[in-house]
Amino acid sequence: MSAQYTVLKRFGRFAKSRRLQLSAAIISVSVFVILWHVFAWLLRCWDWSLQEYVPFPVDVFTVLVDSFVNEVPGMDLSMGVMAFASFKRVVIGFTLALVVAFPLGLLMASFRFVNYLGDPIIEMFRPIPPVAWIPVFLVMLSFFWGPVAIVFLGAFFPILLNVMFGVKRTDQTLIDAAKTLGARRIDIFTKVVIPSTAPYLMTGVKVGLGISWMCIVAAEMLPVLGGGVGNALWVSAMEFSRFDVTFACMIVIGLMSILTTGLAEQVERRLYRWMGME
Amino acid sequence: MDGNGVMISFINLSKTFSDDRHIVKAIDGFSLDIRQGEIVCLLGPSGCGKTTVLRIIAGLESKSGGSVKVRDESVSSAGSDRGLVFQEFSLFPWRTVRKNIEFGLEIKMMPVEERHEVSSKLIELVGLAGFENAHPEKLSGGMKQRVGIARALANDPAVLLMDEPFGSLDAQTRNLMQRELLRIWSATGKTILFVTHSVDEAVFLADRIVVMTARPGSVKEIISISIPRPRDRTSSEFISVRGEVLSVLEMEFEKTLARELSGD
Amino acid sequence: MEKKTTLLISIVIAAAVVVATAGVALYLTPDDDDSVKYVVVSPTLMGGWLQGGDGSAYIAWEPFVSSATVGGYGTVLSWSNEIMPNHPCCVVVLSNEFASTTEGSELSLRFLKAHVESTEWILDALADKDSVEYQLLVNMSVAFTLRDADVVENALEHVKFGWEMDTEFRSALDQFTDMYIDAGIVEEETVGDRGYGNVTDFISSYVNGTYLDELGSVTESPAILNPDDPIRLGYLAGDIHQLAQYVAANGSVVGGTMSVFEKYGLNVVAATGAPYANGGSEMDAFVAGHVDIGYLGAPPAILKKLNVDADTTIIAQVNSEGSAIVIATGSQISSLADLSGKIVATPGESSIQHLLLKIALNEQGLKLVKA
Ligand SMILES: Nc1ncnc2c1ncn2[C@@H]1O[C@H](COP(=O)(O)OP(=O)(O)OP(=O)(O)O)[C@@H](O)[C@H]1O
Ligand SMILES: [Mg+2]
Repeated sequence: MSAQYTVLKRFGRFAKSRRLQLSAAIISVSVFVILWHVFAWLLRCWDWSLQEYVPFPVDVFTVLVDSFVNEVPGMDLSMGVMAFASFKRVVIGFTLALVVAFPLGLLMASFRFVNYLGDPIIEMFRPIPPVAWIPVFLVMLSFFWGPVAIVFLGAFFPILLNVMFGVKRTDQTLIDAAKTLGARRIDIFTKVVIPSTAPYLMTGVKVGLGISWMCIVAAEMLPVLGGGVGNALWVSAMEFSRFDVTFACMIVIGLMSILTTGLAEQVERRLYRWMGME
Repeated sequence: MDGNGVMISFINLSKTFSDDRHIVKAIDGFSLDIRQGEIVCLLGPSGCGKTTVLRIIAGLESKSGGSVKVRDESVSSAGSDRGLVFQEFSLFPWRTVRKNIEFGLEIKMMPVEERHEVSSKLIELVGLAGFENAHPEKLSGGMKQRVGIARALANDPAVLLMDEPFGSLDAQTRNLMQRELLRIWSATGKTILFVTHSVDEAVFLADRIVVMTARPGSVKEIISISIPRPRDRTSSEFISVRGEVLSVLEMEFEKTLARELSGD
Repeated sequence: MEKKTTLLISIVIAAAVVVATAGVALYLTPDDDDSVKYVVVSPTLMGGWLQGGDGSAYIAWEPFVSSATVGGYGTVLSWSNEIMPNHPCCVVVLSNEFASTTEGSELSLRFLKAHVESTEWILDALADKDSVEYQLLVNMSVAFTLRDADVVENALEHVKFGWEMDTEFRSALDQFTDMYIDAGIVEEETVGDRGYGNVTDFISSYVNGTYLDELGSVTESPAILNPDDPIRLGYLAGDIHQLAQYVAANGSVVGGTMSVFEKYGLNVVAATGAPYANGGSEMDAFVAGHVDIGYLGAPPAILKKLNVDADTTIIAQVNSEGSAIVIATGSQISSLADLSGKIVATPGESSIQHLLLKIALNEQGLKLVKA
C-alpha cells in the first residue's frame, strides 16, 4: 500500500518536472520561431537582398514535410533516404572509431611501450582537423567510405583521449585493494581499470557523436552515393539556391544529432545505474 | 585462540623512499614478532611509517632492507593470504555489496554457488544482511567498512591488516565498529595488525600495543595489555594503561613536532 | 539477475533497431529496371572516375569529352546535338545595375560588339585549319584551358560558337525552366512571385535581344573610355566555350598590340573571384555585386534569376552544343537504352548536361534517379 503510494508520488513528481521541462521547451522554441518569422518578414518589408536567404519558418516546415513525403527538391530522393544514408555513415564511422579507440586507449594508457609507440603518431595526426582529410578521403575512398573515414577520424580522438585519461585517473587504492585480494594484472585490467574508465568513455562517446555529425555535413560537401542530408544541404544552397531546403536539412541534421546524443545519454544513465554510480 | 606460533616477523626492516629530488628514510631497524591470533596495534606519530609497514607486509611496497616473513615465508608480492582494510574503504563503486565481497573469490574462479555461500556467511557475520544488492554509494561509512572487512575476510587470509579502518567514522560508530571487530575476531581467530592514531582504540582492542619512534620508524616500546575483554573504558585499569601509552607516545610526538617546526 | 535482464533487453532493442533500419533501407532502395542511376562528380574528376570503374558513363562539356577520347579511355556514346540540336549552352549575362546608367549601357553595347567580333574571328579561324589564325586559336585555347593541343583541336570541332538568340534558343530556355520546375528545383509559385505570368513570359523578359540589334551603331574608339572604371568580367575556369572573351582580350588578334576590347575603348578586368568554378558561383558573384558582365551557362543564370532574384539579363549567346555522353572505351554499351541499370556521372542536378541526359533518357523511356 505504502510502496504503491511512494511510487505514485514519485511518478507524480517526475511527471510534473517533465511537464515543466516540456512547457519550457515549447515556449523557447515558439519564441524562436516567432522571432525568425518576424525577422524574415522585416527583411521583406525593407526589401533587403538578404531576404532571398532567409525563408519563412512555415516554408521551411512545409518543404521539410514535403521532402519526407515526396523527395528533396531536385534531388530525386526522399529526405528519409537521405537521412538514413547520413545516419548509416555516422553510425558506421562512429562505431569503427569506438571499436578501435576504446581498446587502443586502454592499451596505450596501461602499457608504457604501447604508449611510446602510439603517442608520436597520435600527436602527429590529432591536431589535423578531420575535415582537412575530406579532399584526400573522398577521392581515395570514394563515395561511401570517404565520409565514413572522416566521421571515424572525428570521433576517434575524443574517445581515445578520454579513455586514456580515464585509465590514468583510475583510483590507485582500488588497484591496491584488488592486488591484496589476489588480482593479477589481467584481473586488475578487466575488473578495475575498464569499469572505472566507463564514465570517461561515455564522455568521449558523447563528444565524439557531436563531432561525427559536424563531420558528416562537411564530408558530404562533395557528392555522395545514395545521397545524404549533408549533401542535400550543400547542393540546395550552393547549386539550387533553395535556402528553405537548406534550412530543412539543417533541422534534420540537428534532430538526428539530438537523437543520437540523447540515446548516448540514456545508455550512460543506464550504465551508471547499473554500476551504482548515479 | 592465543596460539603461540609466530605469524608475522620483521627483522631489521628498513625502507627508503627516493624520487628525483628527495630521499626519505621512512623505516629503519624495525623488528617485531606477531603471534598467531593476536591483535597488535601500531601507534606512532604521523609520518612515522605505520602505513608503510602495513603496505610492505601486504606486498604493495617493496622493502629496502631487512626481512619480513609471514608464516616463515618471505613476502615478495601482494597475495590473498594477507587481507588489507583501508581507511578510505576503497570499495569498488560499480559492484554491489555482495559483488565487492566476492571479488577475491571471482579471481580464484570459485564456482558461483560456492561463492554465494561464502559471501552470504560473511554478510551475516559483519551484519549487512538486507544490503547484499546495494551499491557502496548507498551505504553509511560504518557499513562501508563492514564491507571492506568482509571483502578482506572472504579470501580467508592468515592475517588481517587494517590501516586506520575506523579513522573516518564518527565516535559512536567507531565504538560500535570496535566491538564488532572484536566479535568478528573471536569468531574467526584471525591475526590482526591494526594501525591507529587513537590510544583509546588501541587500548580497547590490542593484545599488545607497539609504539613507534618518529621517522625513521622503528619499535620504541611494546606494551602488553592483559585487561580481560570486554574492556571497560572507564575502568581504572583501562585508564592507567592509556596513560602509560600516552606518555610513551608524547615523547615521540614532540620529536616530530620539533622536526616539523625546524622545517625538515 | 536484474542486470542480466536489462542487458538482454538492451541487446534485443539494439538488434531490433539494426534489423528495422536494414529493412527500411532495403525497402527504400529503388530497384527499377527502367532507370539509370546518376552520381554527381566534378568534371575534372570524371575521367579518373570512369577509368576507376565506379560507373559506366559520364556526361560533360568540352574539353572533358575530348580529353577522354584523345586520352584513349573514353568513347562518345552520344553528342549533345543528337539529343537536342542547337541546344543553348553559355550566354553573356549583364548586371542590370551596371547597365542602368547611360555610361554602363554604352559600355555593355561596346562589350557585346567585341564579343561578336571575337566570335566571328574564331569562326573564321576554324573555317581554315591551315591558316595562321587557326594556329593562333589553338595556341590560345591551350593557354586558356591548360590542355594539350590535340585535345583542344578535337574539342573545338564540337563547340558551336555564335551569338544570335533565335526563337529556338528561347524555347530551349523555356524547356530548361520547365524541367527545373518539374524537378522541384524551382517552385512553380516562384515564377509568379517574381512577377511573370508564366515561364515563356519569364524567358522573353529575361532574354534581351535589343543590345544585339543595336550593334550596328558601335564604332571603334581612339581612346579607352573607362580607364579608371574597368568592366569587371566573370567567366569560368578553362571553359573552352568561353574562348571569345579570351580572344577579345588578346593583343595579337587584331594585329599589332591592341586587343579587341581596346579597339572598342574598353578596359576589362577579371572580376573578384574570377575565373569561377561553375556558373552558380558566378551568379552568386553577380548577386554580391562583384561582376558587371559574365560568361556562364544559361541554366544557372535562369536558376539564380528565379530562386534568388539575381538582377541580371541574358544579352547574347556564347555557344551551343559541345557536350557529350562518354563511355569507357571497349564497354558493352552501344546505345542509350543500354545505360539502363547503369551508373552515370553528371556535373550536378542543375547543370545543362544533367537536363540533357534526362531528356535523352526520357526519350528511351528511362528514368534518371539518384544512385
Ligand atoms: N610513495 C612514497 N614516496 C615518498 N615518500 C613516501 C611515500 N610513502 C610514504 N612516504 C613517506 O614516508 C614516511 C612514512 O609514511 P607513512 O605513510 O608510512 O606514515 P604513517 O605513519 O602512516 O603516517 P600517518 O599517521 O599520517 O598515516 C612519510 O614521511 C611519508 O612522507
Ligand atoms: Mg598512514
